Amino acid sequence: MTNAHTTGHEILVEVSGYPVAVDRMYHADSHMWVKRLTPGTVRVGLDALGVETSGTLAQLSFVAVGDELARGRAFGQLEAAKFVGPLVSPVSGTVSRTNDAVVTDPGVAEHDPYGEGWLVELTSADETELADLLGTPEAITEWFGRTVEDYRLRGVIAE
Amino acid sequence: MASAIALRFRSGKFSRDFDFGGINLLLNYDEGCLSDCGYCGLARTRPGDYNDKSFIRVEWPLVRTDELVERMAKHESKLTRLCISMVTHGHAYRDTCDITERIAARVKTPLSILVAPPTLNRERIEHFKAIGVDMIGIGLDAVTEDLFRNLRTDVPAGGLKWEKYWEVVMDSREVFGPWKVNVHTLVGLGEADQDLIELFVKLRDRQIFPYLFCFNPEPDSRMAEHPKSPIQRWRRVQLAKHLIETEDWDLDRFRFDADGNLLNMRGDESFVNGVVDTGVPFVTNGCPGESGEPGCTRPYGSYRPSESFRDFPFVPTGDDLIEIRQQMALDDVL
Repeated sequence: MTNAHTTGHEILVEVSGYPVAVDRMYHADSHMWVKRLTPGTVRVGLDALGVETSGTLAQLSFVAVGDELARGRAFGQLEAAKFVGPLVSPVSGTVSRTNDAVVTDPGVAEHDPYGEGWLVELTSADETELADLLGTPEAITEWFGRTVEDYRLRGVIAE
Repeated sequence: MASAIALRFRSGKFSRDFDFGGINLLLNYDEGCLSDCGYCGLARTRPGDYNDKSFIRVEWPLVRTDELVERMAKHESKLTRLCISMVTHGHAYRDTCDITERIAARVKTPLSILVAPPTLNRERIEHFKAIGVDMIGIGLDAVTEDLFRNLRTDVPAGGLKWEKYWEVVMDSREVFGPWKVNVHTLVGLGEADQDLIELFVKLRDRQIFPYLFCFNPEPDSRMAEHPKSPIQRWRRVQLAKHLIETEDWDLDRFRFDADGNLLNMRGDESFVNGVVDTGVPFVTNGCPGESGEPGCTRPYGSYRPSESFRDFPFVPTGDDLIEIRQQMALDDVL
């Protein structure tokens, strides 16, 4: 881990060549980050590795504001040059806002995954589920570094 | 883009899990392609800077030849087929020879060239064979002379000649031998089913492969608003081509209406259903790998990942076959 710095509202560190914001929580399998905004309200986005391994993003779409989400259910769809798949919610809650900017230009999620490239906001987020996420800088950076190495070995990311 | 992912120039993944090793290369020049085909993303008069243009609707990352050859050597064990696509440009022949020789010196994977006929003559085709090219492809695309003229000849910066394309097809057939030449046919440019099926028979009789491609409108091209061929028609054309090529069906097996639309295929119903069940007619047409397996499979080459597969980069089975049958409505033409 090197080069911790603050940019905008994020505290970013570099792990194995990728930026990681350590001021939030992560769901390892889905590569989704979760950031508390106010008590009971969270913002959700895709981390840099989730973006990278998807390939060049072509389209992002979301369920409607007001939809109830259960953890593990899709809150939208990501389409890249050669891949399409669900955006999986890391926690349960009600969709209160979706990010029009990334719908208009999915490149925003590629270039600024922890900032302007956020995806949705949820209210009534389940506190017990939040506790299951990776939540300390040490746990986040250890997991992220290990995952990058694993993806490199498996040939999932560019050389 | 799929090739860039396979060679790890770019990160990315495919929606479905399948092996992929068909590497497609496209020559790149500052001046671009000098042709102006109505359906093509590289068309000379398509708006935009050439380096920003897509071809078959995807980005083609630009890499140095040295680096490319290194990556091919490094990943050779998973490569099944290599193909260099020429463009119409004064240096295309020279550069294709150079790249071919550099690849052939390091990598044993069979190599094809999708040629640009205006840049070639028989001597040059013979030279391709001499330097190790395994197969030749010709992008005829428009399957009738009228269509070809309207889309590729009589266009703002056109001038491609139907006769020249066929001269290169026949010279290549003579030089490379049976089943070593393929003609690309683009379904959905305005041709009739009969036009396609007549061409498939003609090519089969000359031991030349017809390869099917599905027209997929390029944004900002002159055919940007032209619709894709309906999936039902596309599936039936895939099946008809397979029956002609693999089961030796002739033209008399097919009945058309006055406009050339396919009305009926005259064959034993259970036999045809058996052919459909193999899934093979719906696999991407492309040059084979070393052992005859599909080598060039172009995943998501003519459809978005969120759309149905037009052609499959693997042999479809199970739910994919069920969907194919629904799309094809075979009973209506048997």
